[in-house]
Amino acid sequence: MLTAVKNQMRVCFLSIKYNMMREMVNKVTFLTNVGFMVLNNASFLVQWLILFRLRGDVGGYTFREIMLLWGLVAAAFGLSHILFARVFSLSDLIIGGKLDAYLVQPKNVLASVLTSATDVSAIGDLLYGMVLGLICSRGAGGFLLYLLFTVTGAVVFTTFALLLGSLSFWFVRMDLLQSQLVMGIVSFGTYPDGIFKGVSRFLLYVIIPVGMAVWHPVHVMTDFDAGMLLTVLGYVCALTAASVIVFYRGLRRYASGNLMEARL
Amino acid sequence: MNRLAKQDGIVRCMPWRKYTVIYRSVLLENLQYAANIAVGFFSYAVFIYTFIMLWGYMYQTPGELIAGYTKEQMIWYVMMTEMIWFGSSAASVAREVSTDIRGGNIAYLMNKPYHYTLYVLAKYTGGWSIRLPMYAMLAVVIGTALVGPLPRFPLAAVPAMALCVVLGLTINAVLKMCISLFSFWIEDATPFQWLYDKLLLIVGTMFPVEIFPETLQPLFKLTPIYTVCYGPAKLIVDFSPEKCVEILAVQAVYLLAGCGLMFLIYGRGVKKLYVNGG
Repeated sequence: MLTAVKNQMRVCFLSIKYNMMREMVNKVTFLTNVGFMVLNNASFLVQWLILFRLRGDVGGYTFREIMLLWGLVAAAFGLSHILFARVFSLSDLIIGGKLDAYLVQPKNVLASVLTSATDVSAIGDLLYGMVLGLICSRGAGGFLLYLLFTVTGAVVFTTFALLLGSLSFWFVRMDLLQSQLVMGIVSFGTYPDGIFKGVSRFLLYVIIPVGMAVWHPVHVMTDFDAGMLLTVLGYVCALTAASVIVFYRGLRRYASGNLMEARL
Repeated sequence: MNRLAKQDGIVRCMPWRKYTVIYRSVLLENLQYAANIAVGFFSYAVFIYTFIMLWGYMYQTPGELIAGYTKEQMIWYVMMTEMIWFGSSAASVAREVSTDIRGGNIAYLMNKPYHYTLYVLAKYTGGWSIRLPMYAMLAVVIGTALVGPLPRFPLAAVPAMALCVVLGLTINAVLKMCISLFSFWIEDATPFQWLYDKLLLIVGTMFPVEIFPETLQPLFKLTPIYTVCYGPAKLIVDFSPEKCVEILAVQAVYLLAGCGLMFLIYGRGVKKLYVNGG
């Protein structure tokens, strides 16, 4: 059992490694993509400088906390897109009948699918997030918490996309819903929760998991609360389990597209 | 034979006819998929809702002015700029040109009896002709329901506003195409598109130019921000005939200069393609 897990981990690691090597063949394009993504993210600093010029706080957040929020979203989004970029186009694979190539491999189907692509510009997101984390976290302990929440955030991004993408086994056009709801985490998550009130705030914790991916972690980092930390960890485990179950339930319904495809 | 000669004569007399045909075919195609366009309403609604909440927090007292804008004007400004952004989907122009150049499809398209750049612009215009009115209707519904109607909105000036929006959309597409045409030299021009988009998004779309320090405002008015997003949205939320004439004049200059640049870069790029053997 342990050997099988070890082998699977090794295959996943090699898959990610070769994805990266493929993306790095053209070094100029690779570096331009990464560098410009950092600049692209940094340009939003202007937005917050303007808003904080108008008021001392935005939604109860200080400038440092907003940067922590931004950094966490960028880092989690980046990590998820570096390791598991294919999950964000899972609907296309299912609708197009392109899962066959993964089904015939003697390894775990879900792990093979998830690790079969890398988004190179996401390295820029991760770098930007890490720099903000280093600057805005409180000491070494704070940065360790930041790293932990980067991982939990990346898991939320991935599993939420997996859950929505897997619904394509039952419904058509889930690709549009998947991309819009996943990007909803970024759109809402880069603003403080203090500006949202009532039902919308509730929905952002329940329907789109912005609260658990970003807002709760920032609250824990600014004012440590063990209960809140355990809530985030518990939620991540529950979402992961639910998404994996839905994927395998859906896989039973999968019909091949008779598409001839080879994965090298 | 006579019919063919007659058709050839019509095309020679009216060189724009072929682009009208392309425009019409894309328009009809988009009409078939209008429901798909409506799916994109979710993202637009997310952005608008977030900004309504944000400005609701920033404006502490009723009637307060920030950079000369009331809360209603500020939210309507963002709704209009986002409507232009979502309704035009200029990213499709950039994507199409980059894909054609990188994938080699350009070698076939440049030999057709039309100018490639005008062909892409005709397709783009056909696309937004359906999408933009749909987003405009959504913006009016959301705005009226959540913010309230714009005070002193001059209905008679709507044609001038529409002209300004159309010119802004076209200038944006031309400039984005100029950036994408650099794919003839560099493999991927997408990172440059990100920076151009962010300039428009942060300076002109999320905020009106007046919110920035006074020393920067004249500089911003020289950039595409003034013609693409700030100008049209400013006219909608705070119309004045003098401002309208000024924005239209600047847009005409930008459009001519942008088209000149677009033809120049395309011509140079095509020459490079010939040298490389296609």
